[in-house]
Amino acid sequence: MWSYIVRRLLLMIPTLFGITVVSFCIMQLAPGDPLLMQLGATGLAGQTTQTREAYLIQKRDLKLDRPLLLNFRYFRDYSQAVYWAGYYRVASQSQIAAELAVLAHDPTRLPNGHERLAFLRSLGIPRFRARLEDPAEHARLAQAVAAYVQVFCEDLGHHGVPFAVRLLESPDVDRQVKIGLIHALNSMVVEPFVFTYSARPREEETPYVVGAWRLWWKRTESTTRPLSSTERAELESRFHALCQMSQTQLLEELDYLDPQTVRFFAEKLLGDSTLREKFVASLALRRLVREPLRLDVPADAPESLVEEVAENWIAHYELYRQRYEPPFLLRVAYVFTDTQYAHMVWRLVTFQFGRSATKTREPVATKIWNAVIVSAPLMLMAELVTYLIAIPAGIIAAVKRNTLTDRAISLTLFLLYSIPSFVAAMLLLLFFCYGDYLKWFPMIGLHSQGAENFSWPRYLLDYLWHAFLPVMCLSLFSLAGLAMYARTSMLEVISQDYIRTARAKGLSEFTVIFKHALRNALIPILTLFSSFLPALLGGSVLVEYIFGIHGMGRLSWESIEQKDYPTLMALIYIDAIIVLLSILLTDILYVLVDPRITFSAQGEEK
Amino acid sequence: MTSGQSYWQIVWKQFRKNPFSVGSLWVLAVLFLIAIFAPVLACNIPFYYHDERGTAWPWFRALFNPEETVDYWFNLAMVAFFPWLIGVVIHALRYRRRYPEKLLPVGKYAAVYALAILGLGGIFMIPGVRPDNRYRARTFPEEEFARQGTARAVYPLIPFGPTEQDMDSPVKPPFYRKPRFTTNPNTGEQVLFWRKSNDGFPHILGTDDVGRDVLVRMIYGLRISLTVGFVAVGIYMVIGIVLGAIAGYYGGFVDILISRIIEVIMLFPAFFLILTLVGLLGQSIYIIMVVIGLTGWPTVARLIRGEVLKQRNLDYVAAARATGATNLRVLFWHVLPNSLSPAMVAAPFGIAGAIITEAGLSLLGFGVRLPAPSWGLLLRQGSENYHYWWLVVFPSLAMFITVTAFNLVGNGLRDAMDPRLRI
Repeated sequence: MWSYIVRRLLLMIPTLFGITVVSFCIMQLAPGDPLLMQLGATGLAGQTTQTREAYLIQKRDLKLDRPLLLNFRYFRDYSQAVYWAGYYRVASQSQIAAELAVLAHDPTRLPNGHERLAFLRSLGIPRFRARLEDPAEHARLAQAVAAYVQVFCEDLGHHGVPFAVRLLESPDVDRQVKIGLIHALNSMVVEPFVFTYSARPREEETPYVVGAWRLWWKRTESTTRPLSSTERAELESRFHALCQMSQTQLLEELDYLDPQTVRFFAEKLLGDSTLREKFVASLALRRLVREPLRLDVPADAPESLVEEVAENWIAHYELYRQRYEPPFLLRVAYVFTDTQYAHMVWRLVTFQFGRSATKTREPVATKIWNAVIVSAPLMLMAELVTYLIAIPAGIIAAVKRNTLTDRAISLTLFLLYSIPSFVAAMLLLLFFCYGDYLKWFPMIGLHSQGAENFSWPRYLLDYLWHAFLPVMCLSLFSLAGLAMYARTSMLEVISQDYIRTARAKGLSEFTVIFKHALRNALIPILTLFSSFLPALLGGSVLVEYIFGIHGMGRLSWESIEQKDYPTLMALIYIDAIIVLLSILLTDILYVLVDPRITFSAQGEEK
Repeated sequence: MTSGQSYWQIVWKQFRKNPFSVGSLWVLAVLFLIAIFAPVLACNIPFYYHDERGTAWPWFRALFNPEETVDYWFNLAMVAFFPWLIGVVIHALRYRRRYPEKLLPVGKYAAVYALAILGLGGIFMIPGVRPDNRYRARTFPEEEFARQGTARAVYPLIPFGPTEQDMDSPVKPPFYRKPRFTTNPNTGEQVLFWRKSNDGFPHILGTDDVGRDVLVRMIYGLRISLTVGFVAVGIYMVIGIVLGAIAGYYGGFVDILISRIIEVIMLFPAFFLILTLVGLLGQSIYIIMVVIGLTGWPTVARLIRGEVLKQRNLDYVAAARATGATNLRVLFWHVLPNSLSPAMVAAPFGIAGAIITEAGLSLLGFGVRLPAPSWGLLLRQGSENYHYWWLVVFPSLAMFITVTAFNLVGNGLRDAMDPRLRI
């Protein structure tokens, strides 16, 4: 038995893999960028800095900046592209337009003309070739180049950093290009230095935080005032108190620090201290120093400033070298693991669904849980109602076979089967909820206003009152199918020899039906159990939409509408797992209930 | 030679025993006629229009230039209907006389009709051949219409168009008739309220929020519903039959692969998958049809696969092989026709399901877009305010009738084809 179950579980893996592939493909097929859609923009070129940054952070957070299936970016040489990105980043538009005119005519007349042209083509400007050949378009094309170079840098992400830094280090790169490279670096890396720990400080963060501040201290140490011993003692006690405080207290207290005391905190942070002390010191420093390290330069910056900022970026590269240039084996691994697909599969496999892609950025797990606790009770009630009505109806129809009762039951069920659930829902709402006819039930939702304050019996009654119509609609559709199934299996059992034997023994009809026939007739109905759990967690989109219930169906509808891929993927994946498990569970139940079926027989067949 | 009954004769004999199923076949026939002859029943373009500038036949030109592509094909079906019917009747009479014991070749008749429609469609695709239409909407004011003593026009039965708006009479109840005169609120004088020549006609099932006639929209919505049902099911029957037959007949690796694909697609809840695809790929009636077609085939494929598995070990297959038939020939010529019955039973239920799915999608706002007429869209308009009950009740009723008819046909077919189920 166990080997059978294990084999079935192993067979699930390729199926689940197939599901991730299919859903991944569907989402790639979908037109439009979901993140851009949320920002209400159609293209990235020409957006405000804030919009772009929000977009970039989200994109990197959801790993959407990675290649789809294979990632060769760590093996590519981007030095040319980065150089030209830096070059065109600062070039004035008239200059670009002039160059474009030359490039269109004869690329060899410019130094590295072909390289430039290749780079400009790789930017993905729409109709680049045709526009290049049209002199009237050059001014607008220059504008597009400026916008698309920025997008290019953002898309390149941290893969461009080593190349940009190497160019910054080399002495024969023009100052203007260096400024452009610094601009480009600023687009590639959103937050180069980490100056404070995260809310729960970890030891691994220390080198980065300390490294950043050390660089700053190297620049500013000579300009800060030394502290007297009394000051130092006073600060020491104060610092000790700060370290004991809770987070909120600490944040409040930090507002009253004296800007003259940076030296103390810097020494604390850079010296030999515990993690807690480093944490507090870094927070204090962050409060006191507005801009510790300059990372951006204006277009007309003097040589010294450019050098300083370039030095900062070089230091940044040194600090994060591991990330930028991972060892060879890791790079090979990244080819397969650092892709959109791999990240998605990993999130699903580890059940870390992350945050949804909507504006609220709610965790997906919370979202799903909130929906499940709304729709699961409803579906449970609906299933119970279905079973309680359908099975007796089916049995009665089978026992009184070919009588008027049988015909009436069959026809009624058949008509019910033909009413789509949403049509039934709307008609019920129309007749029983809308005031023009009968106002028996509420229109929308599952609770009255202020239901939180009701006593629990009243709360329950209120809930049942609200849930009555939705439950009716939800149970309507499966009713007929189940009843027909019960009828057929009961008829099959009744025609068996042992029932005739039982009757011949002189048992009462009641005993024959309920003791001998019913038990065996219910076995095939177990098959339907496999749809029980999925339905319980699945909800119904249309019924929930019409009755204004925020359950699973509604959630899936909304996440499709908002192109909320993380939630959608999680929903599909969870649903698939539940379906597979409940099919397995049904098979096991079969074996447990019916001694005629064994695992080995099923195993041989496979 | 023995004169045995063919399989389809047995099925038809059994099918005829069920009065509900035969009745619903008639209902379906009526529905089809309504859908085909929709422009005769309801259209806001006159058959014949005459004024001092001359005579025009705008309706006939408009037949080949409708707003919806679905309407184009149905209009061609209308054009082809009577020639086809006459041909069929003549052929059927002669066929009956010659082979009194045989069934009429209904499938062939349907195929000829489909080919005629496609052929006409092809001919009218040629730009020069298709008459252009200058009478897309009727814009002659009533006064002008009355003043021009010579102007006269002949309209279809209900002179409203499926997308014709009338902002003067929004959400009016059934049998609303626009009053001829209205009072100007500023001056208090009587003004002629009828602006268009069809204003005097009652809206039999009321109007929607921008004054479109509900009955007319339901008639044209029937066209969309039937198209979605038949095309979607056609797509998935073809895919399902081919893949299921291949999986069942060849077995081995192919079978494992196809079965796994079937399993993967069946794991998605059907409506959710369709909703996802339509939501992500965009809304149009064609995408809906294709998506329903692409998601529905696993059920059919499973049925066919099981049946082919059963059939391929029978003697006649061995006999066919012995005569030297290739695998493909054995499969598609001998095995498949004998394995079709479970899929045939699934088809009417599938059509009903596709119609429900389309309406559900439109209700959610993922389906057909306004102003295209669809029952689901009418329900959507009704769900915004239940005070306008006619927007809910009538489309519901129409859907119920259509769906029940298809389901009853499917039920009768199942009973007729599968004697095991007739216990």
